Amino acid sequence: MKNLYKPNKVKIVKTEKLSNNVKLFRLKKEKGEFLKNEDGLVFVPGQFVLISLFGYGEAPFGIASSPYEASYVDLIIRRAGVLTEALHQLKNNDELFLRGPYGNGFPLDFIEGKDMVMVTGGCGIPPIASLIEYIIINRDKFNRAYLVYGARTPTDLLMKNKLEEWEKNIKIVLTVDKPDKEWKGCVGMVSGCIDAIKIDAINAVAIMCGPGPMMDALEKILRPLGISDRRIFVNMERKMQCGIGKCQHCVTGDKYVCMDGPVFNFDEIDKSWD
Amino acid sequence: MALVIEKKQIKNWLGELKKKFTVIDVKESILPPKQYFFPPKEEIFNFNCKSRKLDSPLYQEKLLLFGLDLSDLEAMTQLDEIMKKPNADFFYWQRREDSVLVGLSDVSVGVAPGGDIVLEKINAKQYQVLVLTDKGRKLADNKFFEQISKPQIKKYSAEENPHKEKFKKMLLDPEVLAEAVAWSKNHKIWDELNKKCLGCGICTYVCPLCHCFSIKDRVGLDESECTRCRQWDACTLPRFAKIAGGHNFHPSIKERYYNWFYHKFVRAYKEYGKAQCVACGRCVEYCPAGIKIGQVLGEITKDYEKSIQAK
Repeated sequence: MKNLYKPNKVKIVKTEKLSNNVKLFRLKKEKGEFLKNEDGLVFVPGQFVLISLFGYGEAPFGIASSPYEASYVDLIIRRAGVLTEALHQLKNNDELFLRGPYGNGFPLDFIEGKDMVMVTGGCGIPPIASLIEYIIINRDKFNRAYLVYGARTPTDLLMKNKLEEWEKNIKIVLTVDKPDKEWKGCVGMVSGCIDAIKIDAINAVAIMCGPGPMMDALEKILRPLGISDRRIFVNMERKMQCGIGKCQHCVTGDKYVCMDGPVFNFDEIDKSWD
Repeated sequence: MALVIEKKQIKNWLGELKKKFTVIDVKESILPPKQYFFPPKEEIFNFNCKSRKLDSPLYQEKLLLFGLDLSDLEAMTQLDEIMKKPNADFFYWQRREDSVLVGLSDVSVGVAPGGDIVLEKINAKQYQVLVLTDKGRKLADNKFFEQISKPQIKKYSAEENPHKEKFKKMLLDPEVLAEAVAWSKNHKIWDELNKKCLGCGICTYVCPLCHCFSIKDRVGLDESECTRCRQWDACTLPRFAKIAGGHNFHPSIKERYYNWFYHKFVRAYKEYGKAQCVACGRCVEYCPAGIKIGQVLGEITKDYEKSIQAK
């Protein structure tokens, strides 16, 4: 019987400070590359992995790198608790443990051929980033694509190098609560950016990843744009501990976020009591 | 023909079994049989911080649990299913695979709900041996069991309180329970329980089917070795759905208690077609606040049925 709890050793090959309390970690397998599925993907954008450091525990993280990249995965980690604090102390060549990927990921077949509005805030960017990489590689399968990305200050916006690169292929709308002198983007809530988005609402899909207040974005951007709840997908955050539907920490109503999610149709979440 | 064992021989049979198995008598045990396959705390990985080697402790003991009553047998059948689907739980099966369950019933059995062998009382001096699985068959050939042609079979029914009987009857229709609990989200009973429940988690520890857990790392003082442990958790405890950064998805007892019911009666029904409850009565007996889940279910179901009739 396979021991699904057993994590595999990986090595840090790159770390990069992305903001005051956020770091990027590039992880490589001990030997060889990460396995690809029949579609050539190492994981489905939106899936998560469980990262552990013995002595500090295990926690779920979304993958930020391209799903076609088999030689490494990138994780973007905010210092928020015991484990992430310890991870932030690690350097190149340090080892940690990984198991996964887990969960469903974004519905890649469903979103094909549609206009895309991706909305995220702060540290919710990783799963969206991997989806953008996927869209760019399959650019002809998608119509218009927007990333609406908000943060507290310009320095809290992550993956700035990537944003420049992505801008060649998708439209990016940035907004911050507290601008600095050089800031040229929007200011305030994401709802202020609505005029910048030109989509065919009946053939558009929205993807969201972010904390509770991101639901505001849903109310203030997606509804006015006319995207129905059935075409809104949310990447949810819970305390996924076992990753395989046993431990019960991540349940919400009828669903296990670790297996049925973490990506849910908004219509589905809205009906749940939880 | 019936395979029987004399009551006074049971002890001797167990004595013989002890040569092959670690035999544990679980009759009237407060903690349910799950504790032997899913222990309150177990080491699942050892990590040597110097050699960077990761090992998983091997478990080789052969267990035989003796004396499970009908509700615990039913619970073990369900727990096996939960631990098998949709993903098999390695650490549970490592202990469970070679173990044997022997039931003991002083009431007439009807259809045995689980176990490998069940001893069913048929008269004051004899028990009928019900052999249910291959594992059971391997143990059935011994000098203590004998085939007799005209067994004297008496019917024994449970001397149970009416509360428990009513509760057992309710469990026969898990669909109604699922509908009623799902419907009851805004029922006043959850506010009452919010005040009454102490959020101690005892009900889940003594439940033969509750199986939630958390995984924690422990490091020795010299930091040379780290042990990853899995231990029982309880969805009614305050930190159960809390994430790093401090957000708690189930901040009040009301949500946590409702979630417990929702899992047992709604989600379990959707996943397995059954309620995750066998009316063993432990949670009622050991709840320090005196909450009776049979009564809670009864009240919800009654009001749910009224609401349907009103429509």
